[in-house]
Amino acid sequence: MAQTIAIPGQLLGPSSKYVAGPGTHIHEANLYSSVLGTVTIAQPEKKIAPGPAKRLTKIAGLPSSSAQLPTISVSLTGISEKREVLPEVGNVVLCRVTRIQPRQATVAILVVGDTVLEAEWQGVIRPPGRARHREGQGQDLRELPARRHRASAGGESNRFLSEPISLGDQASYYLATASNDLGVIMATSEAGNVMYPVSWKEYRDPETGLNENRKVAKPF
Amino acid sequence: MADRRRINGPVGATTPPIFDKPAGPAAAKTRDAIRKIFLKTGITPSASGSAYLELENPNPQRPGNTSLKLSCTVHGPRSLPRSAPFSPHIILTTHVKYAPFATRQRRGYLRDSSERDLGVHLETALRGAIIADRWPKSGVDIIVTVVEGDQDRDSPRAKKDDEGWDMMNVLSGCITVASAAIADAGIDCVDTVAGGVAALVCKDDKTAPTIVMDPVVAEHGSILAACCVAYLPTRDEITNMWFKGRLPGADMMVYDKLMEKSLVACRCANRVIVQELNETVKKGQGIS
Repeated sequence: MAQTIAIPGQLLGPSSKYVAGPGTHIHEANLYSSVLGTVTIAQPEKKIAPGPAKRLTKIAGLPSSSAQLPTISVSLTGISEKREVLPEVGNVVLCRVTRIQPRQATVAILVVGDTVLEAEWQGVIRPPGRARHREGQGQDLRELPARRHRASAGGESNRFLSEPISLGDQASYYLATASNDLGVIMATSEAGNVMYPVSWKEYRDPETGLNENRKVAKPF
Repeated sequence: MADRRRINGPVGATTPPIFDKPAGPAAAKTRDAIRKIFLKTGITPSASGSAYLELENPNPQRPGNTSLKLSCTVHGPRSLPRSAPFSPHIILTTHVKYAPFATRQRRGYLRDSSERDLGVHLETALRGAIIADRWPKSGVDIIVTVVEGDQDRDSPRAKKDDEGWDMMNVLSGCITVASAAIADAGIDCVDTVAGGVAALVCKDDKTAPTIVMDPVVAEHGSILAACCVAYLPTRDEITNMWFKGRLPGADMMVYDKLMEKSLVACRCANRVIVQELNETVKKGQGIS
């Protein structure tokens, strides 16, 4: 199927008819492409009959009148494998632990959404109390086995699913695992064996039979 | 400045032996167009984005035998080094490097002042085109290697009044090739920036000077002034401009005319970029 090709600076349409999606920008009330790729136009989702108004528990994009317009975006999806993206608040990212400290775990972000990253971005997960902006929302990384894992190399092969909560500081993105489907998905024990999850907070080593505390993810 | 760790080529200028009677000097054609441009993206697989640019050689058999070959690689967007402070936008770094054999006078392995100068010009030209705040906390490196520097291959000596006019052509090529490579890397831009040169040339002292686009330095008797601009065609904005030379008399309109001609050259170069980028996408669609 031949899709419309857009190159940077190409006029896509007036901003009164479309909402700017990824890969576009607005200049003088017109939408222009800002990357090379193909144009996709997504129709807005049909609103379900309004139920009882929910209390907003997180700050998401507030629904506005512009939500009724189709979203136009430009991307190289399916054309070029090389497509760098940045972790954003709301994405689910896959990370590998690189360093465990008493109060935080430093991780390397490997995958954002469906995109495998080429560059290595650093993230930081902190237990509650430290991450004050998430107070009362559960632990960022429950039962981070810091004291026991600091010395063991096993700590470095843990894999996490987590969610960026902030752009972070100069070095790293701030991440959180405060959700049922976020947490450790691959864990290695102190003895160096790959473990399996037994509960929402424990992994078990099949050889030694010992349990270790982790914030276990329930991805399915 | 002798580099003792490497086996260096001859210090002075060299010229290839020619065992044929050279043809007469080329009749300086007053082309009302720029030289043909070959542009291709995606030539360096290890880079995030890359492009190669070559200018047509107008006189392959006679004096004025000259050509421009540029290769550009874009690395990034990637995370900044640990020591770098927080940056809410992308950090752009440009390097322009002549290959040691690119010009008559051999170039060193370290960047000299003219190469750094070109790098600064290139950075200014690109900074106006890139949407920097789309990539917070990231850096991108843009490296242009000049494989051949648009100098006359046949005359080993530079002309006495050689003032480096070829650098203007090199800069305009750098802007064009970097623009294609950035689009290939998927970095957000407001437009495809293109470079173009116009020059005020005269054949000898008696004739009146004329304005040409994309001047081939060896073709013209002398160049009085030249102007290189970086231009965003759909926005109708200029991001960088470099004017050099002396204008005869007090005709201020010559400034305007030189600028206008450079803009025409930019638009010509931009059409090449647009066509090549379209082909890049089509090629990608064919594979998947």
